[in-house]
Amino acid sequence: MKKYIFNNSIIKSFLALSVFFLLNGCKREISGLSPVTYSTNPDVFIDGFSAGLNYGAYGGSVPSAFHVDSSITYNGSATSMRFEVPDQNDPKGAYAGGAYFTSVGRDLSGYDALTFWAKASQPATLGVVGFGNDFGSSKYQVALNNLAVNSNWKKIIIPIPDPSKLNGERGMFYYSAGPENGKGYTFWIDEVKFEKLGTISNATAAILNGVDKVQSSFIGINTTIDGITTSFNLPAGVDESLSISPYYFNFTSSNPAAATVNETGIVSIVGTGSSKITAKLGNTDAKGSLTINSSGSFTAAPTPTKDAANVISLFSDAYSNAPVDYYNGYWAPYQTTLSADFEVNGDHVLNYTNFNFVGIQVSSPTIDASSMSNLHLDIYLPAALNTGATFKVQIVDFGANGAPGGSDDVSGDITFAAPTLVANNWARLDIPFSSLPTLLTRRHLGQIILVGTNISGFYADNIYFWKNPTIPETPVSAAPAPTIAAANVLSIFSDAYTNVPGTDFSPYWGQGTVSSQVPVAGNNTLKYEGLDFQGTQLASNQNVSAYGFLHVDYYTANSSSLNVFLISPGPVQTSYTLSVPTSGASSSGWSSVDIPLSAFAPVDLTNLNQMMFTGNGNIFLDNIYFHK
Amino acid sequence: MNLLIIKWSRKIFTAGSVFLLITIVVSGCKKEAVQTLPERNWQLTWSDEFDGAAGTSPDAANWVFDIGTGNGGWGNQELEYYTNRSQNVSLDGNGNLLITARSEPYAGSSFTSGRIKTQGLFSQAYGRFEARIKTPYGPGIWPAFWMLGSNIETTPWPQCGEIDIMELRGQEPNIINGTIHGPGYSGGSSITKRYGFTDKRFDQDYHIFAVEWTSDKIDFFVDDYLYQRLTTSDVPGQWVYDHPFHIILNVAVGGNYLGFPTSQTPFPQAMTIDYVRVYKPAN
Repeated sequence: MKKYIFNNSIIKSFLALSVFFLLNGCKREISGLSPVTYSTNPDVFIDGFSAGLNYGAYGGSVPSAFHVDSSITYNGSATSMRFEVPDQNDPKGAYAGGAYFTSVGRDLSGYDALTFWAKASQPATLGVVGFGNDFGSSKYQVALNNLAVNSNWKKIIIPIPDPSKLNGERGMFYYSAGPENGKGYTFWIDEVKFEKLGTISNATAAILNGVDKVQSSFIGINTTIDGITTSFNLPAGVDESLSISPYYFNFTSSNPAAATVNETGIVSIVGTGSSKITAKLGNTDAKGSLTINSSGSFTAAPTPTKDAANVISLFSDAYSNAPVDYYNGYWAPYQTTLSADFEVNGDHVLNYTNFNFVGIQVSSPTIDASSMSNLHLDIYLPAALNTGATFKVQIVDFGANGAPGGSDDVSGDITFAAPTLVANNWARLDIPFSSLPTLLTRRHLGQIILVGTNISGFYADNIYFWKNPTIPETPVSAAPAPTIAAANVLSIFSDAYTNVPGTDFSPYWGQGTVSSQVPVAGNNTLKYEGLDFQGTQLASNQNVSAYGFLHVDYYTANSSSLNVFLISPGPVQTSYTLSVPTSGASSSGWSSVDIPLSAFAPVDLTNLNQMMFTGNGNIFLDNIYFHK
Repeated sequence: MNLLIIKWSRKIFTAGSVFLLITIVVSGCKKEAVQTLPERNWQLTWSDEFDGAAGTSPDAANWVFDIGTGNGGWGNQELEYYTNRSQNVSLDGNGNLLITARSEPYAGSSFTSGRIKTQGLFSQAYGRFEARIKTPYGPGIWPAFWMLGSNIETTPWPQCGEIDIMELRGQEPNIINGTIHGPGYSGGSSITKRYGFTDKRFDQDYHIFAVEWTSDKIDFFVDDYLYQRLTTSDVPGQWVYDHPFHIILNVAVGGNYLGFPTSQTPFPQAMTIDYVRVYKPAN
């Protein structure tokens, strides 16, 4: 028994140890994972594919363009890469192109260039060669564009913009080359490898093409840093420009509370304030910067309410827009205006900076706005309004030839100033074509030209032509029912009130107007057909001086002129112009107006004896009354 | 042109130590550490540290300008017009002199640059002549730190002698030459040697270029590494290095030494000189 116990205890100890080791072992495997190390193999294609290298041809290219060649090689090596560029219209493909990639990445951070030797059967320009294309995200792609090759072997050096980024690179080499003057040719590439040369120097880098840009912006806007360029001085002392992925750059925002920037150079405005976006390529400061001045939340332009059936839109998220050639023609040589259009939460906004003038063109096709009555546009001036600031809108019709020039172009313009122009808010400009007498036709509208004085920039939205909905000649619904208490009303013509008695609505004063009373939806309505003028004779003189307003409901589909008169003995008469036609004033087509009686001075309001309407067209009237 | 001779490796092997060999394998190009030269003691006789306000000319007590195109592009079919304008020659305010070659039409030439010399102001026979320089680069760019015999007015070149402490062809920015020109061995047949790097360039950092000159030999150094020793027996003609020489700094553009700039040559190109110092042996 004792022996057994002894043995047992040993077994137990052993088990305990085993468990301990087991746990320990597991722990070590979890926490002691060494970083994945990638191969540092620099060879891509020396005398054949290097370890793990794959090839894929690009879509649309000749799939069989690439061959391993053992007859023409650099420096008598065993094999080279041969590429057969097709003739134009080769049914097999339009160009030679493809990429060499590994399925497991390589650590290339110890090298500073991809190098290879190249020659061709004739002088030619290879469209692009480079590395970093892995048929996937190709995050660190580098392109050497338009590489000249000839029938001599030539060493090509493509610097790695920032080797520290290439810790697990899969894209080893890629190329794309099309026919020369329509004809195919052959080129060879050999000894493709990454090298640490040390003799690449004087890197330059730029974002936004090296310009220090300042931009007003708002929360919710994203801006992409573009204009990325870089060059390196090669061992032969010459500069080589490369097109590189923004991932090589390290972008920085000076104030992330206002704007952030991601690794692809997309700037997101997240708060109010100023932020300067800069970038570095390795240790090299990139020229150029973007300063964002965010004024916080964006106030969108008021959403248009016109029915799309009555609108031809050029720029609005509320409508489908007609095909527009451009919103900024960059008209040389005098135009300074630049565009920095933006989008806030799905609302697209035109943003014109450095503004002097700018043209929006719509020529394919031109716009027939002959049935439209107005041009509408909303503009926002994001800075204080300068003294003398004016904003001119010119509308150009290209005439029957549908093209600018010729003798058939006509245009009209109108200029706005304060108080229509406002700072830091939307100004809703609505331009009736009737205010542009020199725009003789609008059947082939081709351009809208915006011209500023003392305006540095503006946003624009909701640029559209519109018309009021068509209304029938005769109203189908009654005039709106009055809501004013009868005690405060002296009614001349209304079913809603007791009218002053004995009024003659069709005295013969020599007018051509045919006056009648017709029911409209059961409501007695005054109708003046073929109006020239039409009087109203009150049965007794009325003192309306205790009232403040004359109310009139009116409806006309075709009048272009309508005036109402109050008359006292003398006669002393004063007119007030009513806006016609009434299409678009309301869904029913009825228009209602409350005219302050002071507008009729010097008529004796204590002693009215007549009223009169003048104008043209067919007019329907109802609810003519004085009220307090 | 196919001789990129970098002799330091042989020197290292002559040192003959396994330990040193390992050092080389590990640290690559640290050849200065293993070259053993006799101790020398030098005493400063003349220097210009190029301290002064940015945009100002170098001290007129030390330097005079060569202006214009010389005779036949300074004898070398060079393309530049040398001026004394600050655009071409000026202090940078940080203790350096900039000699800047520019691509600009000027007085009938397509390029401008600068060339200054101590002629008539300072000259010396024998001693150590050194300058700390960051070179320009690019095809057709030809910076130089060199000396001419100060008797040149009475004894024409090459009899007066020329010692080129540093010349660089901008299309090979990793290689410099140290050269002497004398009677019977001038121009294309001068006595010269290349010294270079395989993995870096002379425009990336400052390097110290020097000669140590005694009556019977001239030693050429880069960063205190002796890469060429020329003695009286190394020249096929007369040894003419027995009288005072003056110092010249310039950046030429084009010329028959290196060919012409191309459309790919980056401009402007500046040679940055931290200092020029001259010593005599100390007793």
